[in-house]
Amino acid sequence: MKWFVIAYLDPGSGSYLLQLLIAGLLAASFTVKSFWRNLAGFFTRLFSKNRRDGKTLG
Amino acid sequence: MEKLSADQKEAGSFRDPSGFLFYRNGALFRQVNLSYKEDYDCLIRSGLYQKLAERGLLIPHEETEEKGLQGPVYKVMRPEQIAFISYPFEWGFSQLKDAALLTLEVQKTALEHKMSLKDANAFNIQFRTGRPVLIDTLSFKTYEEGRPWVAYRQFCQHFLAPLALMSYRDIRLNQLGRVYLDGIPLDLASRLLPWRSRLDFGLLIHLHLHARSQQRFADRPIKEETGKFSRLAFLGLIESLEKAVRRLNWKPGRTEWGDYYQATNYSEPAFEHKKDLVADFLSQAKPASVWDLGANTGFFSRISGERGIPTVAWDIDPLAVEKNYLECRGRAEKNVLPLLLDLGNPTPALGWGHEERRSFAQRGPADLVLALALVHHLAISNHLPLERIAGFFARLSRFLVIEFVPKSDSQVKRLFLSRDDIFPHYDRASFEAAFSRYFAIEKAAPVRQSERILYLMRTLQTPLL
Repeated sequence: MKWFVIAYLDPGSGSYLLQLLIAGLLAASFTVKSFWRNLAGFFTRLFSKNRRDGKTLG
Repeated sequence: MEKLSADQKEAGSFRDPSGFLFYRNGALFRQVNLSYKEDYDCLIRSGLYQKLAERGLLIPHEETEEKGLQGPVYKVMRPEQIAFISYPFEWGFSQLKDAALLTLEVQKTALEHKMSLKDANAFNIQFRTGRPVLIDTLSFKTYEEGRPWVAYRQFCQHFLAPLALMSYRDIRLNQLGRVYLDGIPLDLASRLLPWRSRLDFGLLIHLHLHARSQQRFADRPIKEETGKFSRLAFLGLIESLEKAVRRLNWKPGRTEWGDYYQATNYSEPAFEHKKDLVADFLSQAKPASVWDLGANTGFFSRISGERGIPTVAWDIDPLAVEKNYLECRGRAEKNVLPLLLDLGNPTPALGWGHEERRSFAQRGPADLVLALALVHHLAISNHLPLERIAGFFARLSRFLVIEFVPKSDSQVKRLFLSRDDIFPHYDRASFEAAFSRYFAIEKAAPVRQSERILYLMRTLQTPLL
């Protein structure tokens, strides 16, 4: 059995274990948000590109 | 800042084995210990240091050829010095919130460079030219995927708990930070917060469940088999904390001093004249640093700040400090630092051996102290003898600009509405006699269309600290 060697700062067992307990939730939430952000970013770029092109053409 | 003699270790810098601060010939240096070599090299080579320093998120430093002070040394660096070291319980709500967001921004940037913050101590954040900055260059370590954030507990105790208490319960609860130097215990924060704070998902997890988890798993050993914390989970944690911090706001009610300038008895010409006199006295004294005591929202601090003088604007009222900070932030002011202080009970020396955090007076003297519309509050509301006020001010400053407000002034009359006049010696002659024990009165100018007198004084003797 190996023990975690952590750092000079005691992270606190409860604080450490809570993070492990909610890890799945945090990862899922981040993935979903990233997906929506990327999608929104894609459309923003697309439309701003169209606007820029429009201006150039106009 | 107190200048220390040659080769003296900074008393508050002893916890982290990676290095420490020391003073040599009045200059501040940071020794990087040999044990921190790998992490320090990673900080520099990964480009993280450069990125953070360029964005103003981390204090810049230069590596020197100086000798180390003790132990196996890797480098000695000279960090840019901060004009005034302040403490989190002296900050207003938005200052603490900005410091929390800065910490999370640094952590996000560190993760992009495969590094992570190994502590999240609010005392490691200082205000530099008006904006928060991380001053501990040795706070980074190489990120090892699979491990949770070591500094999670500290972040919640130092930032999230006080912000939530100030936002949900009472702004004055940031004073708990003066007692709990390693942040507010989460079980205490959880008990003090109202039930409705559980409806905020971030606070529910990071404060309430966190506190329960600490109680339940206290002292349980952590084994490698216990579980993994993926990089995505880590990013999710930082994002969740950021969201929780951003949602916290403070909606102040009316406090004692927040509308002081509207409630003042000054006529327009009197106010203008006072402003000119303050500017004139500053020109004469040419101070390198100013402390404005009882600064309110910082109107007069700005006269000094606009001349490029680092100015600390102290006030007892959290709303005045908050308004002042928001104005400084909005105007991108570089020289005014608003801070909270009860001058009747100023910040004491704190921590181990009373040496980790310096008292209010130990962080002086300032070149010049402004004490405008203040002496009547100290002498009458706080019952302080004039001589003791003069004695303390002489410890704080080399020059003093002070306003005497006589009993006939309507603001002083207001103070007597609810108390007996037991101050037979509160008059101009006694004031000048008391202050002349410690100061040379260089100028005494009556403020036009008022009964007040503005003085420029020079300190004669500094009472022993």
